[in-house]
Amino acid sequence: MTPLFNIKSIASYAYKTPATALFIATGLLFAAANPVFAAESIKASVNGMVCAFCAQGIEKSLSKMPATQAVHVDLKKKIVLIEAKAGQTLDAKKITEEIKDAGYDVTKLETLQQSIAELKAQK
Amino acid sequence: MRQFFVAAALLVSACANAGPMGFKGSTMAMGDFSPNWQEAWVNNAITPRDALGAGGVAMRSDDHTLSRHFTELTYTRLAHRINGEHSQANLWLVGGVGQVRGNDFAGSKTMWAPGVSADFETTRVYASATYRLYRAPGINHDFAAVRAGFSFHEVDYDETQPWLILEARRMRGLSDRIEITPLLRLINKGYFLELGINTAKQGRFNFMYIF
Repeated sequence: MTPLFNIKSIASYAYKTPATALFIATGLLFAAANPVFAAESIKASVNGMVCAFCAQGIEKSLSKMPATQAVHVDLKKKIVLIEAKAGQTLDAKKITEEIKDAGYDVTKLETLQQSIAELKAQK
Repeated sequence: MRQFFVAAALLVSACANAGPMGFKGSTMAMGDFSPNWQEAWVNNAITPRDALGAGGVAMRSDDHTLSRHFTELTYTRLAHRINGEHSQANLWLVGGVGQVRGNDFAGSKTMWAPGVSADFETTRVYASATYRLYRAPGINHDFAAVRAGFSFHEVDYDETQPWLILEARRMRGLSDRIEITPLLRLINKGYFLELGINTAKQGRFNFMYIF
């Protein structure tokens, strides 16, 4: 089977045309800095979240969503973090509805290209 | 006759910090147990604001001469909620209807038990007030309770938070005194427990669990 990209032929072509080589190098650097499969998370600021027993509804309902990899509730900061499964996209509107159905109000929703572990490490 | 009956609790007040119903689609079990009062309750939240349930209460007078057994079907309504940045306030309506039996009359009577409860809470302070009617032909056990308390410290979501709650409650026609009970409350994301001893040195245990 012929490979889609032949590294040997690309290198050979880049060697002959310096402009192409520069273009390829720039592309590789950009890809390294912005991986295609960076974890996507949603950070929701939630009003009314004062008790873990009450807030368990948020965790349970958001965990059941098909694109959800993990959920983290922060009672002190009044935020909920939802991480998407690899290659999947979270539905912000549905997340807002689920939190509202659990009895709370979403005041702000941000989509971030970071995992929950990365966001927690920023504390 | 007022001396004959029991000082009692009401589930709404026992469960106030977390509200007398769970989130939409959930089933919540609750219990409130002391020597003169044993109650168990379960309800299902059919919407974010409405729950249907059933429960039973066994009551006994302070002097142990009279008893009541009330089984009821309940409807709980979250009438209003204010979600603040660091607080939550709720107004609950509860309706109950069922049969009450007693050792001072034959057979059973239909009892109606509508009530209202309001609470305010943050992660550090809590207060609530409850009033509920317990009415049947020839019977009036209207109930009132107030609660206030504080948590010892803030916690993360996965930790257990201890609270100290003070409750004062009274039921008309069941006791001529106000029952005062300090309670240690433990709130975790998986359970809600309260343990206390009232001024008559009677133990008290409350719990809630959401399935």
